[in-house]
Amino acid sequence: MRGSLVQLFYKTPFENLLKHAEKVKLCAQMLLKAAEYYINGDVEKFDEMTEKVALLESSADQLKRNIRNHLPRGLLMPVEKFQFLEYLREQDKVLDKVEEALYWLSYRPPDLPGGIAEDLLDLVKGVVAPIEKLAELTEEAWNYFRNGREQDRILVKKSVRDISQWENEADLLERELIKRIFEEVPEPLKAFHLIKLIGIIGQIADHAQNAGDRMRAMVAK
Amino acid sequence: MNIDTIILGIATLVGLYMAANIGANDLANAMGTSVGSRAITLKQAVLISVIANLLGAVLAGTHVTETLRKGIIDPNLLAGTPEKFMLGMFAALLAAGIWVHLATVLGQPVSTTHSIVGAVVGFGLVSVGFGAIEWGKVVSIVISWIISPIFGGIVAGGIYLMVKRKILESECPGESAKRYAPFLVFLVFIVLTLSLIYKGLKNLHLNFSFQNALLIAIAVGIFAALISRWLFGIIDFDSKECRFTIGAGGHLVTESLFAYLQILTACYVAFAHGANDVANAVGPLAAIFAVVKTKTVAAQVPVPLWMLAIGGIAVGGGLFAFGTRVMETIGKNITEITPVRGFCAEFGAATTILVCSRMGLPISTTHVLVGSVVGIGFVRGMEALDLRLVKNILISWFITLPFTMILAIIIYEVMLHTFY
Repeated sequence: MRGSLVQLFYKTPFENLLKHAEKVKLCAQMLLKAAEYYINGDVEKFDEMTEKVALLESSADQLKRNIRNHLPRGLLMPVEKFQFLEYLREQDKVLDKVEEALYWLSYRPPDLPGGIAEDLLDLVKGVVAPIEKLAELTEEAWNYFRNGREQDRILVKKSVRDISQWENEADLLERELIKRIFEEVPEPLKAFHLIKLIGIIGQIADHAQNAGDRMRAMVAK
Repeated sequence: MNIDTIILGIATLVGLYMAANIGANDLANAMGTSVGSRAITLKQAVLISVIANLLGAVLAGTHVTETLRKGIIDPNLLAGTPEKFMLGMFAALLAAGIWVHLATVLGQPVSTTHSIVGAVVGFGLVSVGFGAIEWGKVVSIVISWIISPIFGGIVAGGIYLMVKRKILESECPGESAKRYAPFLVFLVFIVLTLSLIYKGLKNLHLNFSFQNALLIAIAVGIFAALISRWLFGIIDFDSKECRFTIGAGGHLVTESLFAYLQILTACYVAFAHGANDVANAVGPLAAIFAVVKTKTVAAQVPVPLWMLAIGGIAVGGGLFAFGTRVMETIGKNITEITPVRGFCAEFGAATTILVCSRMGLPISTTHVLVGSVVGIGFVRGMEALDLRLVKNILISWFITLPFTMILAIIIYEVMLHTFY
């Protein structure tokens, strides 16, 4: 269409960013289910979950590449492009870590001492919450950039604070759990496996927090 | 049938073709932001455009018409050969029409205004020579093409920032919108009234000094603002929007108030378009008619009102016949245009067009509108703007002028050797 204004408007990258966040959220929820299956010794269902997450991860990767490849140089956005891409990277790393945690779980058969199994599940729940919030955060930020309303910005800021707080809580759980493992798990191999696993799970929350911080920078005035 | 009648008939057809093209593209683009934000429906947009554009052409369109006819070329140099002048204007009209049509096929964002200016310059060059062109005028026109989108961008971006600070970022956007909207209405009416009564509306023979015109404009603005305040009070509108509600279509409820304001700016844009762009087709046509009637090239010929009216109607017809598709495409594809942004972009564009029109500078409606939208983007008000269109527009500037110039020269030479 000649000189049509349509040419001026580019598809907003926030749409795909939100889709990506939704996939990350889904994976996090699957991680929780997989951990439950693992602790209950349901290896078959656990493997099924791991496969599903792997599939989701590759489709999220595609989405990520699609977003990156479709930000032409002459694109004028309400945020700096590099900030946007940094946010995307952190959001994607969350997913990578979820996958890594699942793989790490699968490296050893499930034989956790009772109390530790419960604590581990609590830790996973603790990191799933900030990830679920990421999707909300993305949507709120999109609303803010679409409408420019202060109220939406306040919501974004609140979500970032929530994520940060939950990450702190997960951190505490992580440290307590590690301490407990050293006290209660004498076998070095088993202890190593668990400690490494817990470290990876902790990193999931770290990346969620990083993503939140990036978003906070994007809405900074 | 003599040659004059034939030329008159063909010229009218080409002029109408040009006018229809302007309606189908320029005006459709100008109204696209209103349809895009869903402030008005497609049918309403067509109705508003046709009426307001016609009014703009008839009431405020004469200035630019004069510029095109006698501003670029000194008609005195062609006084001895009126038929050359007539042929030249015809060639210019045809060349511009062909170029615009070609660009339509190629999907390039060219300006009808730029095409006609280039063609007139081309004819002047070949008929009389380098000295026939009022180069100062041409340079000021070209500068206006560069400045006008920037000016539109600054106005639109400024208004958007103001709306953002005062309304969107307030605790109760709904309440704030009600409080500040009358001020925006005031601004719209002041610019509109001023452009109308200060050296506008020539046909009504109003002779206000600038001071008087300003006073009247302010009075009209205040009156309109008061009425709008009363109207916004009546409209059942969720003024307590202090919570985080989002209405249908993802638009904020506050936006609905701006949708009403946008109806106003839509009329404003169509009016400004009529004042500025109808002249592109009517200008050369008026020159041809004047020559045929008087057999001389007069320095000053009044542009007949009926011709502006016909031009306005043809533009409306073009919009109705071909422009609805453009508007529909824009409406479907530009979801990023919310009523707030649409209002700001249209306000910036229309103000720029009216100011330039008043100064006798023929500018491109589409380009000014693009400038306004980009201006809002620069103050971070747009989700994703593809600035490659801006590059395309720049390229089209450098191609349009030489192309229409050369085409006008060729058509002129061919006709000169065929008929005389």
